Amino acid sequence: MATAALTMVSGAPFPQRTDSGSRYWIQHSLDLDHSLVERCLRGDEAAWEDMVRTHTRRVYGLCYRFTGKDGEAQDLTQEVFLRVYRTLKTFRATEGAFATWLTRLTRNLLIDHYRRTRQERLTDSIEEQLPVLEESVSAASRPEGMLAGREASEILQAGLQKLSPELREAVILRDLQDMEYREIAAVLHIPEGTVKSRLNRGRAELARILRRQKVLV
Amino acid sequence: MTCADLEVLICDYVDGTLGPDARTAVEQHLAACRNCAELAEDAAAAVKFMGRAAEVEPPPELMTRLLFQAPWVHAKTPVSGIRNWFRKMLHPVLQPRFAMGMAMTILSFAMLARFVAPARQLRPSDLAPAQVWAGVEDRVYRAWQRTVKFYESLKIVYQIQSKLHDWQQEQQEEHRPAERFSRRPDTHRLPAKSPEERKSP
Repeated sequence: MATAALTMVSGAPFPQRTDSGSRYWIQHSLDLDHSLVERCLRGDEAAWEDMVRTHTRRVYGLCYRFTGKDGEAQDLTQEVFLRVYRTLKTFRATEGAFATWLTRLTRNLLIDHYRRTRQERLTDSIEEQLPVLEESVSAASRPEGMLAGREASEILQAGLQKLSPELREAVILRDLQDMEYREIAAVLHIPEGTVKSRLNRGRAELARILRRQKVLV
Repeated sequence: MTCADLEVLICDYVDGTLGPDARTAVEQHLAACRNCAELAEDAAAAVKFMGRAAEVEPPPELMTRLLFQAPWVHAKTPVSGIRNWFRKMLHPVLQPRFAMGMAMTILSFAMLARFVAPARQLRPSDLAPAQVWAGVEDRVYRAWQRTVKFYESLKIVYQIQSKLHDWQQEQQEEHRPAERFSRRPDTHRLPAKSPEERKSP
């Protein structure tokens, strides 16, 4: 078993991350973000629109993956930009990238939302989970290779909802938002080692959930 | 290498960013430890699955909603008090639909006027002050007369007037018998003879 796992892992079937290669583009987008923030702070309406256009995808993706509901994710995205509008003055370019600041703000809002709606979820969790489970079972008979991207995305969404919020946010930030470990550590205010530990547990838990649904072999 | 040490390295191992020495050390531990090997296998499988999942696209209506309900759209720079007041007052009027409605109204009235009262060519003599004054006076007189006529022909006015008239009549009726009793016989005039008296002599 251990040998099989070793060959599977060392075969590296997953995409390799090329963090160092894109340093120029990261710096470029950092500069762009900083000039955008400066323009926004000067009251430039067009700059605010540019900011919404540039970052909506990231914020919505995070909200949708965390909540699993389109309507809630849309409302939360709007709330995030409202909060950005109110608190942009507190952003310090010297303390980190704007994207990290925005992700931290989104994450804090998501955690607030999670706490606020905990009671509602406890009362109607069974009814809500039923359709998700049925969908998963219908897709479960097909092997992983045959799943289309959209279908895989839906199954993944159902799986993510079963993770605890701590593990879920680590997995989302790393594997779906492609953030660096130090960025995640800055967003979650935890050491990098804890990020990695949560990530391992989250990934393993997710794999077990997917395997139970016979999506993973 | 302990399992705790490995836990931190598994992420980099799965990412494929470990150096050759660390990679060998991790692989040696994985070959010997079943639990860690399972953890690494599960993590790799999950990462692989997530790589296949389509990225979440925000719905197009969300962008519209964000741009049109944005706070910066409503928070324009404040203008001076009077200008702001004027803008506020004229805001309902300065709307495209209002302009359209106004244009349509003027057009309909113009068409009506053309058919109902065909316009007469204006002559220079029409603009003489005396002429204008006479015309205005004539119009005022006519308008006043028309108003009076209209007022008098109103049903309620007629009803009130007839009621008043009735009351006056009643009052007169009430006064008349009193007058009759209080009236003394006219001594200066001879009493009128009855037909029988006239025949008797």
